[in-house]
Amino acid sequence: MTDAIAEVTPDREDLKLAQRRSAAGSRRRRYLAVGAGWVGFILLWWAASALVGSEARLPSPPRVLEEIRGILAEDFWNQFWASIVRVVAGFLAAIVIGTPLGFLMGRSRYWGNFLQAPVVVAGSIPGLTYAVLAFVIFGISFWGPVMAVSLISMPYVAINVAEGVHGVNRGLVDMSRAYGRSERQVFKHVVVPSVLPFIFAGVRLSFSLAWKVGTLTEVFGSSKGIGFQIRRNFQLFNMPAVIAWVLLFIVFMLLLERLILVRMERRLFRWRQWEHDR
Amino acid sequence: MARVDIQNLKKVFPAPQKGGDPVVAIEDISLEVDGNVFVSVVGPSGCGKSTLLNILSGVETPSGGTVSVKEGDRPARLGYVFQDARLLPWRTVMDNMLYVRDDDGKTAQSSAERYLEMVGLNHTGEMFPGQLSGGMQQRVGIARAFSVEPDLLLMDEPFSHLDAITARSLRDHLQVLWTATRKTVLFVTHDVVEAVQLSDRIIVLAPGGRIFDDIAIGLEHPRRAADPKVATLQAEILGRFEEMHPSGTANLENLV
Amino acid sequence: MSSSSTTLAPPVVGQGRVRQFLVTPIGAQLTAIVVFIILWQLVTVIAPRVPGPVSVAQFLWVELSGGSHGGVVRGQFWQHFAHTLRHFSLGLLIGFVPGLLVGVLIGSSRIAQALLNDTVLVLLTLPAFVWAFLTTMWFGISWQAPVLTVAFASFPFVTINVAQGVRSITPELKNMSRAFDVPRSRQFRHLTIAAVTGYIFAGLRFAIIIGWNGILLSEWFSGQAGVGFRTRYWFDANRYRGFVGWVIVFIVFIVVLDRLILNRLQTRAFRWRDPNAADAEQVKLEQVGG
Repeated sequence: MTDAIAEVTPDREDLKLAQRRSAAGSRRRRYLAVGAGWVGFILLWWAASALVGSEARLPSPPRVLEEIRGILAEDFWNQFWASIVRVVAGFLAAIVIGTPLGFLMGRSRYWGNFLQAPVVVAGSIPGLTYAVLAFVIFGISFWGPVMAVSLISMPYVAINVAEGVHGVNRGLVDMSRAYGRSERQVFKHVVVPSVLPFIFAGVRLSFSLAWKVGTLTEVFGSSKGIGFQIRRNFQLFNMPAVIAWVLLFIVFMLLLERLILVRMERRLFRWRQWEHDR
Repeated sequence: MARVDIQNLKKVFPAPQKGGDPVVAIEDISLEVDGNVFVSVVGPSGCGKSTLLNILSGVETPSGGTVSVKEGDRPARLGYVFQDARLLPWRTVMDNMLYVRDDDGKTAQSSAERYLEMVGLNHTGEMFPGQLSGGMQQRVGIARAFSVEPDLLLMDEPFSHLDAITARSLRDHLQVLWTATRKTVLFVTHDVVEAVQLSDRIIVLAPGGRIFDDIAIGLEHPRRAADPKVATLQAEILGRFEEMHPSGTANLENLV
Repeated sequence: MSSSSTTLAPPVVGQGRVRQFLVTPIGAQLTAIVVFIILWQLVTVIAPRVPGPVSVAQFLWVELSGGSHGGVVRGQFWQHFAHTLRHFSLGLLIGFVPGLLVGVLIGSSRIAQALLNDTVLVLLTLPAFVWAFLTTMWFGISWQAPVLTVAFASFPFVTINVAQGVRSITPELKNMSRAFDVPRSRQFRHLTIAAVTGYIFAGLRFAIIIGWNGILLSEWFSGQAGVGFRTRYWFDANRYRGFVGWVIVFIVFIVVLDRLILNRLQTRAFRWRDPNAADAEQVKLEQVGG
């Protein structure tokens, strides 16, 4: 009897192999579809450009590619570096200001209420405001974009830190106190690691936002950087160049986010992969 | 070897809701613990045993009476094992062991390793708590408590969150550690059977925070759970519990 | 565990009922506004070029009532505001409807998702000002430029949220309906539409925020009328009180619309909705900006 049953049910090894094969198959199909999507998009673009007929109105992909190559050969890295430095500087300022503010908001109900309105409004203000404000205050300068980036990211960092402070594990604090750990030790070993993931969440959330606002501010008040280049070519009505710069902007922003942020997150929070709900 | 001296301890918590009565967690407890003994504090929920530990460790302050926990003239150094392991999840096991110590360097590390070995976890130093099972994490918690070489070791129902098999294994690990180091231990539990297996003395608290009974256990250490002498004693003491706190099962015979 | 309390006490202000009121959430928010205005006034002492709250208030009064700003220039408010609102709503419509359709497509078909998702993600990362530039280059100074800026900028947000909503109709829900043998049209109606409306609303909110951003930019760079254009008018004339006044106008508009009106509507109407939707919102909040 048991022999008959054993024949009917497939061997566990065979089952696993079949599952793996089908998973690989569907993954392959997915990659193909994504690739097809991209190819389709480029073809559509090409067709549209051919229909419009004018490289000045809707440049074709090869034209844009040519433009991109030119930019990369010239001073792309110069401009890109200028933009990155501003965004990073603004981010650091956002963290430096936002973290203590978040602590304050998280630990005191009064300050949480007091600061909530300005923080929320700061998060809803259209980027244009920051860009022009920065321009008015700093003129054409490095500091304008820095200020704009820090102002727009700071609310995200503050709100996330406030959340993180609420989530500090009381049990771990009690344990530290029972073992006679000093307040400094508790802060360094319990509070900071608890809040760090939230700071990071604030950073990740506001990363692309900061990048956009920073670039917009460059559009207004900068003599360098990707935003400036886009505006310059807009004023020159150089459509292929505008599109080329925009594409480069997108590609590098996505690359930065995937490569640096995601990697940093994985390293900082290595310990999390084994945490499962108890 | 610590000396614990509690005189007329009283602890009252403010009423949880407006207009309610304040909660008397501990009404009156006087007790002295002296020497390298393993003392269990047993009682049902609401008898104040966890509150007692919190007061001893300094997390709570008494509402009345005096509490003195000393090693000779100085305040005693404490070790604490909680119901949950309370390991820092973002630090390795070894870092967790070192966190509670005041020394550092090679000596600290080798000492920590020694204690991990005593609970059979000497290969886990570089792992994160998340990679360990609940029982293993608790073992680290126990090793951690012993490793600071405390004068007084407080344990708050450390095995109550574990399954019976793991708990039994951990009791054996605990006995290994204790017979090797002979610390003063104050062990809170709701499980009388466990208390009889582990302790030299059982203090029974009644609901409301009063001492109901103080039982001395004369068997030698370590004690195997399956040992008939231990089992007989457990049955006898359980019987005394029935008298104090008759549960519904006292009437089982009438039902049959 | 009161000894290990981590809350800080509020600052001591005064005694009695005044203090009691100030410590409440509303009291704290009002205090924040008052403090902000005071700080603003202080800033004008340091930097005299920055217009103070009083002069901005005066400006707004004249602008709103259509009075004279000293000389030839008259206050114009409603014509610009209405101009912008018309284009804003049209752009939202043009962005929303395709967004809805594509979102449903992506959410319900794995193939469609694989094909289209990356394109939508790329569109999400495009800042609104790029659309402002592109549409100006294509259509010049026209009504199409601002309308299409709003449409292009808001389209990906609607798509992503709707797709998420459609995906949230988990297989279990579908199986449940099948098990009870509900006719397909009724199944579609009740299941799909009910679950998805919450996400649609979230997508609409994002569309509004970024669309508003977009139209301001478009009118700033290439408008002939409207809120963005008027803001720039005063800025170019170096009459900063006018500039700040209009900035306040458009900030107040979007804050009132989004935080006070739409926020309340959303929580009230969609209390039951999928908790995962909150994550969608939080994640997508990052994309909104310049």
